[in-house]
Amino acid sequence: LSHTEPTGRSTATHPADAALRLAFVGKGGAGKSSIVGTFSRLLARRVGAPVLILDSDPMPGLAYSLGVEPDDAGPPTEAVAAGPEGGPRYVLRDDWPPHQLVERVATRAPDGVRLLQVGKCSEAGLSQPALHAYQQVIDALVPDAGPSVTRGLDVGCGSEPALRDWHVVGDLPGGTRQPFMGWGRFAATFLVVVEPTAKSVLAARRLAHLATGWSHGRTFSVQAVANKIRDEADADWIAEHTRLEVVGAVPWDAEVAAADRAGRAPLDHAPSSAAVVAVGRLLERLLGPREGTA
Amino acid sequence: MRIAIVGKGGSGKTTTAAVVARALARDGVPVIALDGDTNANLGISLGIGLDATEALVSLRERLDLGAADHAADVDALLQRFGSSAPDGVRLAVVTRVERPEPGCPCCGLSVERLLTQLADTGHTVVADLEAGIGTLTRMASGGLDTAVVVAEPTPRSIEVGARAARLARERGATRVVVVANRSRDEDDVAAVRAAIDADEVVGIPDDEAIVRADREGESPLDTDPDAPAVRALVELAGSLSPHAVR
Repeated sequence: LSHTEPTGRSTATHPADAALRLAFVGKGGAGKSSIVGTFSRLLARRVGAPVLILDSDPMPGLAYSLGVEPDDAGPPTEAVAAGPEGGPRYVLRDDWPPHQLVERVATRAPDGVRLLQVGKCSEAGLSQPALHAYQQVIDALVPDAGPSVTRGLDVGCGSEPALRDWHVVGDLPGGTRQPFMGWGRFAATFLVVVEPTAKSVLAARRLAHLATGWSHGRTFSVQAVANKIRDEADADWIAEHTRLEVVGAVPWDAEVAAADRAGRAPLDHAPSSAAVVAVGRLLERLLGPREGTA
Repeated sequence: MRIAIVGKGGSGKTTTAAVVARALARDGVPVIALDGDTNANLGISLGIGLDATEALVSLRERLDLGAADHAADVDALLQRFGSSAPDGVRLAVVTRVERPEPGCPCCGLSVERLLTQLADTGHTVVADLEAGIGTLTRMASGGLDTAVVVAEPTPRSIEVGARAARLARERGATRVVVVANRSRDEDDVAAVRAAIDADEVVGIPDDEAIVRADREGESPLDTDPDAPAVRALVELAGSLSPHAVR
């Protein structure tokens, strides 16, 4: 199921043509965080430029796969002020435009990855101001966002490129409820992580179905990444039952399971494992042939 | 009796809920299996199949499109959005309606409230809650009796499990049982026990039989009833039963 064209990379009008705008979705436990952590670090190495991860999963988990300490702190309350009459309840303050928020708040992960987490779901629930701050960063990164929301995106940080030229990878909440309720608006490509199980396939079908109803005139594509497969037949089975194009096939890998148990990033624990190599292949496919860096 | 199954996505909540529900029903307990996951898939693990499970979910979603009739009360809801599952379990799918009708009993229902309403009909309700702790954060005090926290021996799964156990206790659960799922040895069980505050910790072995059933979209109770993990889950059900002597 693809909303732009049946195969290959999205041709959606995302900035600079070079910057990836990906959102990983799928059933809980399918392996989103594990793949996002590995993918983002390999991407940052490959392009030699910062990669922004938008982590909107309310549960901790990605931090382990990335190799940083878990942290519940989301965007700080002081970054937002009450919104205008009739507008959103909270808006980013003028001295906290999106690139400043990323610069000051995003966790610095290995290889030049920046991890921006929405307030994790603590027992007290989510901080509304933090949620609004985070949503505004997403708003600003929407491919066709107008000038009023892209304020500050043209400004680079030091020697870094402007935020609009960054590659952006989203680790979206598991399941089917939240991806299309705002968290995925920045994405030009949704990648559904699917295990070769009936439950995982059901979640993928429902995500694809929800994506159809969500498009709002936007162009984006929905593709599958087969995960924890035992053989090629598993990838074919996933393609057949989800009716999605499978753009990556990551094998079941005991070394990744061991990394999970150890709470370590697969890239640190088993850099040459078959699963890490397969994520690298997925990256090359999504980047396509291109000259150097953006 | 109200039993809530909680834990990280993919930790094995749905399989646990399904085997416990059917084993209780075999034991003569009137059981409602309540699918509280917005990505409802409990039907698959109960053994009604992928297509029937998918159909139940779409039925619920059709409320949003105005293409299905609303239910006037809890009984009608069980009839309309439920299905019969093996061993006499009644399965209820109540995914949230995005465009509720004001005042409608089947729209206003939340999983956390329905858990109590269904138990008031004299059933033991086994609720497979949404991954994470969202439903527990919304639950009123006294909203559940037993929490079954499913955790794998990985830091991220244990982290979610520890939060869920704490929150379940705060919400008034009188019993918190931790399922140390996919345990390969006693060390795995010990890692879970050390990190999660619970009344009991039950180790469920890592078992290919569960993986096979998952791949086929069937209930492990049907495909491999004698597998070690299935036996351990049936034993867990026995200890959760309202008939159990504690």
